[in-house]
Amino acid sequence: MSTQTREPVRSAKRRRTGVSNRTDWWALVMIAPATIGLAVLYLWPFASTFLTSFMNVPAFGPGQFTGLDNYARLLTDGDFWRALRNSGLYTGLVLLGIPIAIVLAALIQQVSRGRAIYRVLFFLPVVTLPVAVGMVWRFILNGDFGLFNWALSLFGIPGQYWVADDRFTIYAFAAVGIWMTLGINLIILGAGLQSIPMDLYEASSLDGAGRIRQFFSITLPLLSPTIFFVMILSVISALQMFDLVFVMLGSINNTAIDGSKTIVYLFYEAGFVQFRQGDAAAIAMVLLIIIMAATAVQFRLQKKWVVYE
Amino acid sequence: MRTKKVLATAALIATGALLTGCSGGPTGDDGEVTITYGVWAGTQTPAMEAIAAAFEEENPGINVEVQEQPWPQYWSTLQTGAQGGTAPDAFWMLAQQIRPYAAGGQLLDITDAVESEGVDLANYPQAVLDLYDQGDGAIYGLPKDFDTNGVWFNKELFDAAGVDYPSPDWTWDDFRETARALTTDDVWGIAAPIDPQGGYYNTIYQAGGQVISDDGTTATIDSPEAVEGIKFWTDLQADGSSPTLQQLSDTEAVTMFEQGKVAMYMSGSFWALQFYNNEEFRPKVDVAPLPTGPAGQANITSGIANVGFAGTDHPEEVTKFLLFASGERAAQIQAETGAVLPAFEGTQQGWIDAMPEFENLQVFIDAVDYAVPLPVQGNAAQWQGLQTEYLTPAWNGETSAEEAAEQYAAAIDEVLAADR
Amino acid sequence: MSSIAVRATAPGRPAPSRRGEWRIHVILVVAAALMVVPFVWEILASFKTNAEVSSLPPTILPEQPSVRGYATFFDSVPFWAQFGVSAASLVMRVVGQVLVAALAGYAFARLRFPGRNLLFVIFLLMLMVPSQLFLLGQFEIIRDVGLLNTIPALAIPGIFSAFGTFLMRQAFITMPREYEEAARLDGAGPVRTFWSVMLPMARPTVAALAVLTSLYSWNDLLWPLIVTPTGDARPLPVGLASMQGQFGTDYPALMAGALICTVPLVLVFLFLQRQFFAGIASSGLKG
Repeated sequence: MSTQTREPVRSAKRRRTGVSNRTDWWALVMIAPATIGLAVLYLWPFASTFLTSFMNVPAFGPGQFTGLDNYARLLTDGDFWRALRNSGLYTGLVLLGIPIAIVLAALIQQVSRGRAIYRVLFFLPVVTLPVAVGMVWRFILNGDFGLFNWALSLFGIPGQYWVADDRFTIYAFAAVGIWMTLGINLIILGAGLQSIPMDLYEASSLDGAGRIRQFFSITLPLLSPTIFFVMILSVISALQMFDLVFVMLGSINNTAIDGSKTIVYLFYEAGFVQFRQGDAAAIAMVLLIIIMAATAVQFRLQKKWVVYE
Repeated sequence: MRTKKVLATAALIATGALLTGCSGGPTGDDGEVTITYGVWAGTQTPAMEAIAAAFEEENPGINVEVQEQPWPQYWSTLQTGAQGGTAPDAFWMLAQQIRPYAAGGQLLDITDAVESEGVDLANYPQAVLDLYDQGDGAIYGLPKDFDTNGVWFNKELFDAAGVDYPSPDWTWDDFRETARALTTDDVWGIAAPIDPQGGYYNTIYQAGGQVISDDGTTATIDSPEAVEGIKFWTDLQADGSSPTLQQLSDTEAVTMFEQGKVAMYMSGSFWALQFYNNEEFRPKVDVAPLPTGPAGQANITSGIANVGFAGTDHPEEVTKFLLFASGERAAQIQAETGAVLPAFEGTQQGWIDAMPEFENLQVFIDAVDYAVPLPVQGNAAQWQGLQTEYLTPAWNGETSAEEAAEQYAAAIDEVLAADR
Repeated sequence: MSSIAVRATAPGRPAPSRRGEWRIHVILVVAAALMVVPFVWEILASFKTNAEVSSLPPTILPEQPSVRGYATFFDSVPFWAQFGVSAASLVMRVVGQVLVAALAGYAFARLRFPGRNLLFVIFLLMLMVPSQLFLLGQFEIIRDVGLLNTIPALAIPGIFSAFGTFLMRQAFITMPREYEEAARLDGAGPVRTFWSVMLPMARPTVAALAVLTSLYSWNDLLWPLIVTPTGDARPLPVGLASMQGQFGTDYPALMAGALICTVPLVLVFLFLQRQFFAGIASSGLKG
């Protein structure tokens, strides 16, 4: 967005300083490392995965082109749709962490003491290894002796097998996912809050607006570009979630695994456990399409709610 | 200023890392050969390192590097490595996994060496050799160890409940009764997960059934006898003698057993060292033979094989190592360290002697007399992977064992058919 | 901008009344406690015995404090070696990525060359591609250049990052052109302008990129598993993951390991928290 707004300014300046349209040859040197690296380590692997998605690849040896077979099989596979549902549900639930982060960021903004400490505490999960996070939460959410169920029991709420019952696993992942990313969202949103001009609040106070109304009439609209940014990032990373499922489900003996797979888990399983690389590639391509679609939809919708100054 | 210092230090470390990283590659200047030996992480690693050292001593000029891989990633890393030509030179193989590797030409054929070195196959349990026989006349690996099953039990919990320890000739009914009698508010008599090798495969054969037909073409897991063997477990679930499947998903059966939450755990000999190393737990542990079923005794046996990677740069050295690692001396090392029951004939007593406080380890060796090879026909990893999906409802009491077995059999048939 | 200054200039800002502030603190303390409880529980459990972690109702403090879990962890994981690998690959990846991304970002933001927009669009598209999609191809390349089992293998793919390039471009594009023009009038070429004028001004974004890259590098599990099949060049997450296996769950040891592997990055974070926050905040604002 900023590109478009800057463009006119910049060409005007260029003309004024007389730099004109000539090529900066140095640019090619500067951009070469990134471009070569990207081409070799990303574009090429991407292309090979793309091709593989149309092939039947045996465990060992060359594959054969089978057209859209992998995709067709995928679309009629119950596991795939279940994984899609799980990933979608997880993503939706994780987005609930954003309002929580907004409220907390706003509250932290309002206190005069202890801001630094709060920020540090909220940020701790972000700097923790996901493998470690998964292990700790698997322990806390244990149905028999987990801390969480014990805490619930103090309120007379019956516990559940959060990571061993596929009715609950996705919710458990999402809760941990929110816990893990709250800190980073909080910091980004907090910075967004900082940049809201003070005088707006002043003026509205003079008009007699209360804090709650100020929050909805000033804070939220002016924060909306930042919220949008956080949303885009959250959706992309939620759709790619893997570590948590992998670690929190623990062993393969967990009977909840079948009902708890996400898209990327399915991809990992097909490609790295079951010798079905063609299918794995097709899953990855579908995931790519989903992510692009989700991002495009969000960009569409932003016009309805994101306020740009 | 501080940032600068940090950056400078960082750059230094990076350079150092680059240098050490690059010098860490394979060496070969002085005619020495290094071969890698892939194993999954666990209690056996010290024994594997001792075997590597013993081999190096006998074969100057060949170094063996033991590579541990975490169990959850062992097979995926091996697969990627084999596809990329970078799998370990020698590695552990399981019978239910070998098929795609053998069929894909990824394994070193050591048939000639076995013959020319005069390896006597009679030194290995026939059941385990059969597991790895791919029907193409080639030998891809020799058994490193083998395992049979027993009923591990917690003496303290038996004493507390006033229940007699299992007698060697106990029956299914005795077993069920014992499990029920041991069950209290805090303790379950038995852990009944959906465990093929340590669990329901055994009882299927004890009931006179089998999992797959002899010719390997159809599933027979839905025969009345086999269903009887499955019901053994679903009944234990139904009468509350075992934690539920969910509880066993949350906390694995073996962990529950070690925590003193379940009194009996039917599983393999390979747990011995882990239980023995757990000093708090060691004095409480004992083991009994599997109970006798309606059709008599049966005990599923399997074992790890040492195989070589076809893509290795040093096939000769690797073959040499494979023969050694499955040979008598290596077997003795495995036995003495208590790592695992070695496959080599005549070395098993050393394993029993290594853990003197476990008095009844002999049951695992006695079980060889009525051992049944683990069913691994076709793409075993694939059809075995379907068990949770099809059998869970029976374990949870949502469907009958008959119905679950029938559906599972159909699914297995599909996998077997696709494989042919 | 300090909070005091804010309040002095903007008395109307929804914050200041000290009287009501305790209510906000109550909410924040409860929320912060929820964030921290898992860590506390992890620490406590790491000192308990295997029987105690599964006792019901749970005990809060270890009844017979034991460091057995730590001993088990250090027995089964070569911590210092893996720590060294993690640290070295992190530094390599961060330094490399910042350099490569800053150079490219600057070129995209300020310099003209044929195909710039097309190339930039390709970079942007790569941003959306799930990283798993690259795994196999990247593995093949690392293998073919003979880098398997080396620390560079861990770092290299991460050095080239479309995200980093994008972030740096956004930083440069929002900078006033006057500085550059001044430098140019002083006779500085694009490289010097970049190195001694623009890059220093992009420090917050560089910090952001360094922070985010550090997190990714420190936490990565799947890639190291694939490219470092031997033990010598394995980072910590692999060691930690190897403790969770088929051999049951030893919670005290797992908690001890999880804690120890987490501590280094947490310490770095505590020392450099201002840079962390500033960095991450700027990554969001430039979007």
